[in-house]
Amino acid sequence: MTEILSAELKMEIKKLIMTTLNINDVNPADVDDELPLFGGGNKLTLDSVDALEIIMAIQRTYQVRIADQNLARYTLRSINSIAEFIETEKAKQHPETK
Amino acid sequence: MITIPYKHKMAAHCESGSITSLLNNAGFDITEPMVFGISSGIFFGYFHKMKSFPFPTFIVRNKPGKMRENLTKRTGIKFHTYTFKDPEKGRQMLNRLLEQNIPTAAQVDFFYMDYIPSWERVHINVHFIVVVGVNTNHYLVSDSYFPKLVELKTESLNMARFAGGNMSPKGFLFHPESIPKEIDYEKAIIKGIKKACFNMLKIPIPFLGVKGIRLFAKKITEWPSLARDTEHLSHEIMKINILLEDQGTGGGGFRFMFASFLQQAAGMINKPELLDFSRKMMEIGDGWREFSLLAARFGKNRDLGPERMKELSERLMDRAQVEQQFFSQLYKTIK
Repeated sequence: MTEILSAELKMEIKKLIMTTLNINDVNPADVDDELPLFGGGNKLTLDSVDALEIIMAIQRTYQVRIADQNLARYTLRSINSIAEFIETEKAKQHPETK
Repeated sequence: MITIPYKHKMAAHCESGSITSLLNNAGFDITEPMVFGISSGIFFGYFHKMKSFPFPTFIVRNKPGKMRENLTKRTGIKFHTYTFKDPEKGRQMLNRLLEQNIPTAAQVDFFYMDYIPSWERVHINVHFIVVVGVNTNHYLVSDSYFPKLVELKTESLNMARFAGGNMSPKGFLFHPESIPKEIDYEKAIIKGIKKACFNMLKIPIPFLGVKGIRLFAKKITEWPSLARDTEHLSHEIMKINILLEDQGTGGGGFRFMFASFLQQAAGMINKPELLDFSRKMMEIGDGWREFSLLAARFGKNRDLGPERMKELSERLMDRAQVEQQFFSQLYKTIK
C-alpha cells in the first residue's frame, strides 16, 4: 500500500513541479525518480530560483514546510527524496494514519 | 592523529549551529533556535552607501560574534576565545586544544572549505566550523552546512583562518569554558525577546531595525541608477534571495528560526501567548520568502523596469509594517 501511495505521490510531485515551473515539453513519466534534479542528468534540470518556487508549491499543496535551506538542498535532490520528506512530515502531523 | 569523538549535526546557521553543537557535545541540552532567540539574533539593517560594500546590501541577523556574547550575558555560559596576529601561533594553539580533546570552533573564510563544490564557495569571512581532529595533512571538521564530518586540508584551514579583507577572522577560535548548573531560562528568554524588540523598533539609527526595512523599500527604486548595466542589476536583485534564503538563515531571513524559538519558549517558561506570536512570525517568514522569490524571478528574467522595482518596494513596505506591528505587540506582551 505504501509503495502504491509513493508511486502516486511521486507522479503528483512531478506534475506539481511542471505546473509550477510552467514546463510543457517533458513527460512526467520520463522523469527519473532517483536522478538529481539539479545539475543536469535528469529530464528536469532545475536551478536555485526553481528550488524556491518548488518549496513554496510543496508548502501550499501538502501543508509541509521546508524552512531550512540546508534541509531544502537535500530534500529537493530527487523526486524520491521529496516524496520521502512529504510522507515523513505527513506522518508526523497524523501519526494515527501511519 | 587525533580524532575527538563528536556528534555531528546539521544546522540552519553556521554561528548559532556551531555554538549549539559545541554545547550539545559538552553534554548541555539546548536547541539552535533557543540559542538564536536568547541571543537576540533576529535583526535588520540596510546599508545604502558604505565603504565596505560596493553596492547597497542588507543584513537579517545581529553582528557576527554577538550571538555568543549575548548568550554568555544571559545564561552565564562562558566561552574561551582566542585571536592571533601570527598564523603559526594560531595553528599551534588549535593543535594544542585538539591534543587536549577540546572541540574548537574556528572563524573562517568560507571560500577555502575545500569539501564544498567550488561553484558553491564564495569569500565570506564569517563562516564558523568546529574542528574535531587533526592528522598530518588534514583537519577533521564539523560544518553545520554539511551532512557529515569532513576532512579539510591543513593549508586550506590555515588560509581560511587568516584570510584578509573585511571582518578578517584573525585566527579566531572559541570553545565552551564553563556551563552553569542552573540557568534562569525565564529571565534569559525574556531578556532575549526584549532586546530583539528594542533592536527592531527603538535603535535611533535610520537604517537599522524596522526603519531599515522602510529605508530599503524607499531606496530599492534607486538601485537601477546605481548598477552598471542590466546584468549587474539582475545579479544584485537576485542576491536578495541568497541573503534571505541561502546564507544559513534557516529560511525567510531567520524569521522561521525566531518563530521556532518563540514556540519552544512558550512551553519552557509557560507563556502560551507566545505560541500565537510564533504562528504570526511563521507567516512573516512566508512573506519574506514570497518577496525573495519575486526578486529572484525578476532578476532571473531580467524583468527590472520601474514598475517591477516599485512592486518590490511596496512588498518591502508591507514587510516593515507587519514587523513594526509584530514587535510592538510582542514587547507589550513580554514586558
